[in-house]
Amino acid sequence: MASATLDTWVGKSLKRKEDGRLIRGEGQYLSDMVVPRMLCMGIIRSPHAHAMIKSIDISRALAMPGVVTLVTGQDFKNWKTIISDASIPNLPGETKRPLYHPLPVEKVYHVGEPVAAVVTRSKYQLEDAMDLVDIDYEPIPAVIDAEEAMKPGAPLLYPEWGDNLIYHQRITGGDINKAFADADLVVKERFECHRCGAQPMETRSCIAIYDAAQGLTLWATTQRPHNIRDLLADYLEIPHDKVRVIQPRDMGSGYGTKAPFYREDIVACALAIKLRQPVKWVENRMESLMNVGQERDQIHYVEAALRKDGKILGIRDKMIANDGDGQVGIYGGFAMPHLGAMYFINGNDIPAVDIDLNCVVTNKASLTPVRSFGSYAGRFAIDRIIDIAGHKLGIDPLEMRRRNAIKNFPHTTPIGIYVDSGDFMTGLSKAAAAIHYESFREEQAAARKQGRYLGVGFGMGIELSGVPSEVLVELENTPGYGVATVKIDAQGKVQVAEGDSPHGQSHETTFAQAVASELGLTPDDVYITYGDTFSTPFATGTLGSRGASYTISAAVLAARALRPKICQVAAHLLKLPKEEASDANFSFENGQVIWKKEPSKRVSLRDVAHTAILAPTRLPLGSDINLEQTYHFEAAAPGMHSCNVHAIKVEVFPETGTYKILKYVAVDDCGVPINPMIVRGQIHGGIWMGLGNATSEEYVYDENGQQLSLTLLDYHMLSAADMPSDIEVIDNSVPSPHTPLGSKGKGEGVPGMVPATLANAIEDALSPFAITINKLPLRPEYIWRLIHSSGKTSTQSADR
Amino acid sequence: MKTPVRITINGEPYEATVENRLLLVDFIREVAQLTGTHVGCSVEGRCGVCTVILDGKAVKSCLMLAVQADGSSVLTIEGLAAAGRLHPIQEAFWEKHGLQCGFCTPGQMMTLYGLLKSPKRTDEEIREAMSGVLCPCTGYVHIIEAVKAAMAKVDQMTPAERAALFPL
Repeated sequence: MASATLDTWVGKSLKRKEDGRLIRGEGQYLSDMVVPRMLCMGIIRSPHAHAMIKSIDISRALAMPGVVTLVTGQDFKNWKTIISDASIPNLPGETKRPLYHPLPVEKVYHVGEPVAAVVTRSKYQLEDAMDLVDIDYEPIPAVIDAEEAMKPGAPLLYPEWGDNLIYHQRITGGDINKAFADADLVVKERFECHRCGAQPMETRSCIAIYDAAQGLTLWATTQRPHNIRDLLADYLEIPHDKVRVIQPRDMGSGYGTKAPFYREDIVACALAIKLRQPVKWVENRMESLMNVGQERDQIHYVEAALRKDGKILGIRDKMIANDGDGQVGIYGGFAMPHLGAMYFINGNDIPAVDIDLNCVVTNKASLTPVRSFGSYAGRFAIDRIIDIAGHKLGIDPLEMRRRNAIKNFPHTTPIGIYVDSGDFMTGLSKAAAAIHYESFREEQAAARKQGRYLGVGFGMGIELSGVPSEVLVELENTPGYGVATVKIDAQGKVQVAEGDSPHGQSHETTFAQAVASELGLTPDDVYITYGDTFSTPFATGTLGSRGASYTISAAVLAARALRPKICQVAAHLLKLPKEEASDANFSFENGQVIWKKEPSKRVSLRDVAHTAILAPTRLPLGSDINLEQTYHFEAAAPGMHSCNVHAIKVEVFPETGTYKILKYVAVDDCGVPINPMIVRGQIHGGIWMGLGNATSEEYVYDENGQQLSLTLLDYHMLSAADMPSDIEVIDNSVPSPHTPLGSKGKGEGVPGMVPATLANAIEDALSPFAITINKLPLRPEYIWRLIHSSGKTSTQSADR
Repeated sequence: MKTPVRITINGEPYEATVENRLLLVDFIREVAQLTGTHVGCSVEGRCGVCTVILDGKAVKSCLMLAVQADGSSVLTIEGLAAAGRLHPIQEAFWEKHGLQCGFCTPGQMMTLYGLLKSPKRTDEEIREAMSGVLCPCTGYVHIIEAVKAAMAKVDQMTPAERAALFPL
């Protein structure tokens, strides 16, 4: 399907509509909001990884001036547990469910778990009051390591289960036994990815308001207000019409971390209802580091069966995910690893797959979603095993990828992932050209003679572009369709209401570009509404790169559906015969609705709207004057994907294990970029996250489960000075056959491209030492140890 | 304990008797109600999104008490656009797509304000100077482009025009 527009704004790098307010400091973020009579809530959190709560003495705190109330698990013990059918994944496989309350009644499961909530009149009083709550814990043995947690006799988080396995699934497709029987080479390796993810600059926060007439209103930093509304109504047993969730106009990003159903929001709502006064909670950074944005944390035991020409015939993976305590609504800690397993073979055409997925609970915080949802660790493993196998077979890494890439689209993997369109072969060539791979081996050899270690690495993979209902209903109990209401107002301006909840993804700009193009308007004529569950259609939220694939498609198709109605009114105003009143006979340009047969006969969209809405008497009685259309878009075939190739050129310094990225090349597919500048921004941000995760970010737990990374100085995110200065983004877009504009989403999967690309480059630079990188993060110390355990010195190797 | 303080923000004097422990950032956000300055790391000083100009220097307003700023002049993001006209810093961030969610942007722009008054112009100097404010959205690529674009705009101006752009 091609766009039917004449004057298209699609493909233009327009300045963003969002920025006018944001660069002036006029953003409206949740923490900026003040409501009359508002109180402040603070959360006291567990200092233990695993402990029984023996007693909580709140008397000293309650006596402090300014303290309004204080609640603990005792106040919730007669409430039902949070886990309901709608708040946990409904996946095939064997699932167990931890039962938990908004605040724990008997036991805590990780450092940072909420234990009590204090309400005071002012923010500064909270700190004083929280110091006055005396909690007596009895620590019990904790288990932190996933493989330890799987062993018999390990401490059990939920003794009633009999083990620590929250989710197990066997994912198979193709003839795996034949693949291994036919193999010329079998490569085995264990890969480990540490716990890392994201920390949005704006932490989680909410304001809960309750009154008898309106019911409950929750302003929340959430990526999915509609789901949160449903879950709150269900859990609090309040009629759906009395629960309204609103995401503020501006939100300081999310990266997936603001998608779950968190219990702090429930506690704030419960307190607002109890007190009949608004309650505001603003998470501090330490709380955020203890509870959100913890992802990855997987081990992969990979066995690949290869033919001697480099073709992978089949792959086995025993995958172990450390889910933490699994106490997080919607995801249960295991939705991410499940999807990661489904995407393990990624952009490779591998005919047989056998994945044994084991999701294990431990006394860490529950996994929560982060960009590259569940896939980051697997992407590291698959793109590493290709290089490792290539070394053994004497095949160049670029050639290994050419032999294994999906070439014929659409392609369905043996475990059922449908990949609609893309072009890896061109992508590989573009990446190789941009990194000057043709001449690189000579350069590398010459540099080695001077004692310098240069390397190039490649990574290749698919990025999901929205998730279809078929997958999302199982994964998150919510549909995947995109939905938008397009409404022409009385002045001929166009309002788009979407149920998603953008927070940096630039919907105000890109939706305006797409919808304006459909109706012959300018992006200035289009304005969007989002975030409020009382004024937007139900949708699943902003996540998984679904904006440019699903939601924008709904807006475009809604606008297209309005055109025949507009033509009806226009034909009447132009006094054309009734049979002329069809979309095919009109063009929409520069705000005008133009009769193609005689272009001087035209009427402005403003006059059409004005007539239909304010002066219907100018139309025949019974005319359809409804200029509002809601469209639900579900792709005809599930699975829009972008196909990407990244390359890194690196110099490694063996004396210290440090390295410097000399050039980063990202060849990315976005279907049809609606605003190329915005697409580049998404890719840059994804690379940043991928690099930070791969090199320096880590949620560190000691053997007792104490979290050691509780400031941003310890959880080191990359600064401008840490980033490579040469990042080149190259477009390799192939339009999706399943979206009206051919567009695909962009952003979600980008970080997953990074860790193997970087590890491959470092290993290539250090090939004289014959090291194997199988672990993240790639700290200098780790690289140095690999070099030093190789038994080769840099002088020896430089001589080779 | 409380102390009376007087802090001039964007040319307007604000007087209040505040708790000694009140942070400057809370004075700006809650007493002066200028919420364009944000809080990202809760008084660690690492994220930098609370950066403002205090008596001519870029400071992290979560690492100072309001009482320490008594008698000082502060410039925040709300004061950048003098007489309603966008500052070259704002124009550059807009043109180069130097922001996505916008939460760190006030800190980035006020840091750049401080940098623009110095002669530092190399890529390395720029990255070092901007490293005090984290941005998880952009990978800094477009921020660095915006910094360079703002520098180009300012460097073309006459000394008088420049002086008008940098009141603090």
